[in-house]
Amino acid sequence: MDGPEETFEQALASHLPRLRRFAHGLARDAADADDLTQRTAERALRSRDQWQPGTRFDSWTYRIMRNLWIDTARSRQRRDKVLAPAEFGDTVGALGDAESQMELHYLMRAMNRLPAEQREAVALVMLEGLAYAEAAHVLDVPIGTLTSRLVRGRQALMILLAGTQA
Amino acid sequence: MMDRSVDETELLAWLDGELEESEAARVAQIVSADPALSERAEAHRRLQARFAAAFDPIAATPIVEKPVLRVAPVLSLAAARAERAAKVVRPPRRWALPGALAASLVVGLLIGHGFGMPTGVADRPGALALSKPIAQALDAQLSGEAGPVRVALSFRDRSGNFCRSFTATYVAGVACRDRADWALRYAAPGAPEKQGAYRMAGDDSGSAQVVAAMIVGDPLNSVAERAARMRGWR
Repeated sequence: MDGPEETFEQALASHLPRLRRFAHGLARDAADADDLTQRTAERALRSRDQWQPGTRFDSWTYRIMRNLWIDTARSRQRRDKVLAPAEFGDTVGALGDAESQMELHYLMRAMNRLPAEQREAVALVMLEGLAYAEAAHVLDVPIGTLTSRLVRGRQALMILLAGTQA
Repeated sequence: MMDRSVDETELLAWLDGELEESEAARVAQIVSADPALSERAEAHRRLQARFAAAFDPIAATPIVEKPVLRVAPVLSLAAARAERAAKVVRPPRRWALPGALAASLVVGLLIGHGFGMPTGVADRPGALALSKPIAQALDAQLSGEAGPVRVALSFRDRSGNFCRSFTATYVAGVACRDRADWALRYAAPGAPEKQGAYRMAGDDSGSAQVVAAMIVGDPLNSVAERAARMRGWR
């Protein structure tokens, strides 16, 4: 039972909750985020041969998730063009037991207002705590590009969320 | 070296711990001396903290495995046999991964939201027990008999327990009899719109593979099924 096979699965299993958090930073709602997490786990298991031991496992899985998300988002964009966007801010002030869920939902919608390339940069650095160099590696962009997307994304969030409090 | 000001990029790099020590010290000093910059830094810290408070519980919520395969019920004995015979000479499918964890990961994650409203299969004894109508059908019906639940095939698994594949309206799968009850081994959502219409096992090689992987010996013929039924499938 020892060996690289088990190590791979254990690594994936223990990384899944963080992948799921990243998914919530990218996806438009919780159901999509869980679907994305599921598909990422499946893709990682199928592509296990492509992971190079000695490289960072978490970066590799973040990259898989990000690529799956981009594919989904592209096809969805075409489909959703005819639909009116929901009003941002309609959940402000929601109270009760579901308050924390509402806050998450609210922040996810704020994230969804960002262009994709800002959203993924913010999710990797601000939510997942990746170093700039590591995030740039996951996204396959120069570090300067990553940094400027990150700054613009956070500035946009600041404006979107101004005056609303958790 | 003290007199350059700090732009937003630098401010964030400092907050993110991306600056080298001397640079960080320089920025810290400029920020602390500038009320506007201090306020800006605080605003970014609050933003970060707000996202952490909402998103970090997700990363702290364990994900449990859900042993549910998306397969169609095995309805054709010949296909199951052929699949097993084929397995001997064919390399395993890429998704047929070694290890219980891989097997269950690849087929489904049961994700707890931690916001109340538990959904899905619970992690407790008897979690995969079948409802009464399905269990009764598995107890009483012979393979191929018509009814809301249809049993397709009976066989013994490696532990010598009886197992049966079945199709109900909303769920289809394979169940095995252990001690007192029928417990689900594999399940898939049924296809109500296809009610009554048997799908050929050849439609889904994964379904044949489930039985092919579990079966020991031959499936029960009707005589053996009647005998097993009389002994209560034990």
